[in-house]
Amino acid sequence: MQLLINGLIAGSLAALIAAGLALVYGVLGVFNLALGQIVLVGGYATWWFCQVAGLPLFLGIPAGLVTGGLVAWLTFILFVKPFYKHHRFLPLVTTIALSMILDGLILLLFQERPRSILPGMKETMLLFGGRVSSEQLVLIAFTLVILFGFAYLFHSTAVGRRIRAVVQHDHAAMSLGINAPSLHTLIFVLSGVFAAAGGIFIGIDQNLTPTLAFPITIKAYAAIIAGGKGNFWGAIVCAYLIALLEQVVVGIHWFGVFYIPAGYQQTVALLFIIVFLLLKPTGIFGSVSRSA
Amino acid sequence: MDFILHIIIRASFVLFVVAGYNVVFGKGKILHFGQEAQDIVVAYMIWVLVMRFGFPLGVALLAGVLAAVLSAALFTWLSLRLEPDGFGVMSIAVHLACLSVVLNWQSVTRGALGIPRIPRAPFPSSLGEFALFTSILLVAWLLVLWKLDRGRFGRQLTALAGHEWHAASLGIDRRKVHFLAFLLSGIGVVFAATLFPAYLFLLTPSDYHFSAMIFYVMCTVAGGPGHVWGVAIATFAIVFLREGLRFVSLPPDVLGPMQLILFGLILLIAVWLRRDTIFPKQRMV
Repeated sequence: MQLLINGLIAGSLAALIAAGLALVYGVLGVFNLALGQIVLVGGYATWWFCQVAGLPLFLGIPAGLVTGGLVAWLTFILFVKPFYKHHRFLPLVTTIALSMILDGLILLLFQERPRSILPGMKETMLLFGGRVSSEQLVLIAFTLVILFGFAYLFHSTAVGRRIRAVVQHDHAAMSLGINAPSLHTLIFVLSGVFAAAGGIFIGIDQNLTPTLAFPITIKAYAAIIAGGKGNFWGAIVCAYLIALLEQVVVGIHWFGVFYIPAGYQQTVALLFIIVFLLLKPTGIFGSVSRSA
Repeated sequence: MDFILHIIIRASFVLFVVAGYNVVFGKGKILHFGQEAQDIVVAYMIWVLVMRFGFPLGVALLAGVLAAVLSAALFTWLSLRLEPDGFGVMSIAVHLACLSVVLNWQSVTRGALGIPRIPRAPFPSSLGEFALFTSILLVAWLLVLWKLDRGRFGRQLTALAGHEWHAASLGIDRRKVHFLAFLLSGIGVVFAATLFPAYLFLLTPSDYHFSAMIFYVMCTVAGGPGHVWGVAIATFAIVFLREGLRFVSLPPDVLGPMQLILFGLILLIAVWLRRDTIFPKQRMV
């Protein structure tokens, strides 16, 4: 049960990040490899607002989300928009450049020391036989609220219909009067806000360190690819699955004989996805599309 | 003078790998960011066999070549199975997985501590000998790559990069060409993985982080993707810049991040200048 709860906690974080990315990939067809750094920017900004500037948490969190959205907007304007019309793979390289720049800035501004938005021991409680802190429960609930809220926006509002139209065919959507370029920007900013929320999640539940960025990015993209690229719900389901897999791999006493060391947690999950994709390259929820 | 020789040696080691990587990413336009995975696998294969299990260097080298062939086959398989951008991300995942194994399998690899006291062969052993040997070997390696680039293989790779289906309709075997490209990058890795740890007397996983991969991408893009000599000049220039920055009087905790920012900007500017040639637009009728 504890493994399941741990998987739910880690999965909620991964789902938040992967959701925004899946949307960006669905609309623009571009990968943003500086995503992990935007996650950290959201977390560190919230830490700074709460621990240095002295803002209360309920103000620090929105400020962190706004910072994440702002960095995502700048990323789109400077590192994605001028390039993706030339070739949709170019942002993959430009966002690698951005990831280096942001890594450097994060190290300069916040150093390598771990930072926690809510420092100190957290009280845990027993829930269905597993231990969980009240902060973790709030974070899981918060993620679910965001995801269901977004589902409502996506499927039941005029804005959602426009987004879906742009996802399906942006030129056709533009011919119907939908302002696709603005929606591109909006979706990119939204993915930044989701990423920043993920960073705040990390900063509250654990510690923020600059080395976290890259594995976060890769795991989020692994979820997108495994879920079927551009499939929003597929990415979310796979984010939870990967997180659960990571917990199960190191948490189970295999055949009653050995444990897999915790250091291999990420490796096993990544290898599983690689092997899985070799067998089914379109992902779990992806479908083979005819291109000719 | 010693410092100049040292930089020449360091640049040569980087260029062995970058020149091979340039065949895959620069010429073949294959979105491959897992070069460091090949690096780790080959380097640890060679030096673990020598240092932990006492194999002679010749046997270990053969095992290293075998590791390069197998890793080339794995990446070829992945590149054929996945969409190009999916492959790009998954190749990074392969790298992270390999790095994680090296860091955690401490009984064999000694983890983050690396493998110290790597022996040098009688030749090259001094700084001058290393500079001479690596320079000659590097020029030979670049000439081989240049010859291949100008020949049938280069034309086939260019055709595949331009339009896969059209190339296939002309009888070009994508599987074979991709495998050869990855194999060439693997051979470059074998040179570097054999010489570099012996030069430093140390094999450490910190040399195989993703930042090294970014460095390869930067050298390739700055030199002109697919251009053997352009990439060679860019690599030397960037390595000189990197090593020269050590003399800037800044504290280490500022210098490191400043280097990251500077190289990020260089990569961005290089991509901006070459935005039409890195991944050329497909020609439409």
